[in-house]
Amino acid sequence: MPEKRIVLKNCGVIDPKNIATYLAADGLKAWQKARQMAPEKVIEEVKAAGLRGRGGAGFPCGLKWELARKSPGDEKYVICNADEGEIGTFKDRYILENDPFTLIEGIAIAAYAVGAKQAFIYLRAEYHHLLDLLTSAVSQSHEQGLEVNIEIREGAGAYVCGEESALMESIEGGRGEARYKPPFPPNRGLWQKPTIINNVETLMNIPRIILNGAGWFSQTGTEKSKGTKVFSVSGDVARPGVYELILGSPLRELVIDLAGAEKVKMVQIGGATGRIVPYTMIDTPLSFETILGAGSIIVYDESRDTIDIVYRTLEFLAEESCGKCSPCREGTEAMAEILARFDRGEGREKDIKVLEELARAMSISALCGLGQAAPTPVTDSLQYFREDYAKRIKQGGKVRC
Amino acid sequence: MDEIRVTIDGKQLSGHPGMTILELARENGIDIPTLCYRPELSLLGACRICVVEVEGSRTLVGSCHTPITPGMVIHTHSPKVLETRKVIVELLLASHCGACFMCDKANICELRQVAAELEVGLPRFEIKKRYYPIEDVSPYIERNLSKCVLCRRCVRACRQIAKRDLFAVAYRGFDAKVVVDSDRALDKEACRDCDICISFCPTGALSKPRKLSEEKKGKPLVITS
Repeated sequence: MPEKRIVLKNCGVIDPKNIATYLAADGLKAWQKARQMAPEKVIEEVKAAGLRGRGGAGFPCGLKWELARKSPGDEKYVICNADEGEIGTFKDRYILENDPFTLIEGIAIAAYAVGAKQAFIYLRAEYHHLLDLLTSAVSQSHEQGLEVNIEIREGAGAYVCGEESALMESIEGGRGEARYKPPFPPNRGLWQKPTIINNVETLMNIPRIILNGAGWFSQTGTEKSKGTKVFSVSGDVARPGVYELILGSPLRELVIDLAGAEKVKMVQIGGATGRIVPYTMIDTPLSFETILGAGSIIVYDESRDTIDIVYRTLEFLAEESCGKCSPCREGTEAMAEILARFDRGEGREKDIKVLEELARAMSISALCGLGQAAPTPVTDSLQYFREDYAKRIKQGGKVRC
Repeated sequence: MDEIRVTIDGKQLSGHPGMTILELARENGIDIPTLCYRPELSLLGACRICVVEVEGSRTLVGSCHTPITPGMVIHTHSPKVLETRKVIVELLLASHCGACFMCDKANICELRQVAAELEVGLPRFEIKKRYYPIEDVSPYIERNLSKCVLCRRCVRACRQIAKRDLFAVAYRGFDAKVVVDSDRALDKEACRDCDICISFCPTGALSKPRKLSEEKKGKPLVITS
């Protein structure tokens, strides 16, 4: 399937500093159309389109909105999660840099649909350079008469704040730590009020759906994954960058045909907590049914070492664990230390068993998505590249004392 | 009020709306171990020792914070649950300073009790130990954070019961630590005659400073050949 630009339609076409160029490209038409519809009808349209969250979990967007709409209370919030922290993702940055207006329009429609008067854009600390651009885009959009008040909040550089409950804690001024669930944000989110929290890319799809209709949107993609997905491809490829593909396209098309990778050993899909797939699985379609994540694609060629990759990933996760729940706090540290031993050539056969047991316990007991998904690189690499671990054990190296 | 009917370990039980799995289980004599949970304090869900299996759920759920819903089928002691709890306790013990034989609180230590109940012995994980120097500046409280398991009961007790709000959590991941001010040794007059956090600490991390005049009664144990 070819590249198709739905989300990135305006990127490189309009001037992100000037709303006039956006208005000339059908800007805010969807918002005007949505306001003629009943809020329930807007939600119905999003549900019919089959749009699923693009942040990695793939929760049906319309359902989330409906839950928030039905939650009792006058005060509701919309949050746009622009805390793009996953390793190897830069698609949201590309979107924010080139087309902030569509995002704002998406937020305005979301706020109208759920009945929120206040919205937040949670901007990653590392994207501080985008603050001026985004602030200007928000104020230009407000001049066009948006009812919702959009406020930009900056993060302070924590990976875990991409997790929705930690993000809300951070907006409230607390320490960026996950909360226990239930209650879920559509019932009790920001300041315990009904809240919807959507990824940048999810909200980018909204104006397209409203303007062109749910039927148009649901034509593309697979049965359970409608529309397109924006991928950030990096690593050992000739042409790294942002690509938008129809959901269900094979990994081969993205990595080899478009990005020009050669001698691929493995691909890490979805960042640090994402899946690792070997070259033999290169024909896997990219969809919610199979493998997707937040759209980070990191390609490793045959010169790369598995242990090295997994160790570095776990080291990152141990560093970024918030430290609240014990399986994640202690477990990521334990895994990182075991892998450090492998890296030094001091790994032992029994360590693999320990790693597997740890992975099993962490993935079902941790408080939030970070701890639950943290063992994924370990389990995947043990499944597909077990001989690399065995090789490291055999090599030995330094003598333990 | 409507009753909610659930199944815990094969037993048909009913509770009122808003009740958590743990509350209902304990009310009916089913024991689920806990560490960070205290009925007097706000919920946290951090230690994950109270996890139980709920049929249809992808992961285990924390029983202390998950409300019961109609028709829930809960297993509190399935092999999966026990294995997970053991790994968590093992992890906590692995970084714990581990000198139980010279710990004042060894016989009332909740971590030790939970470990004993789950039959966890020496942990298999070789990770670094938490080491912090003992904070004995305050005449009212001694903090040995090497023994801390980050259950945050002291943080919540100080805030919610003592209303003094002296503690907070700082740093991330393995380095997370309960701190006072900007990580300074605890030396507060507000702690005088309070002791609330000490009574909430599950391990020997918080204790009253020992006074030389309060020696133990009885003869010391002397082994003669």
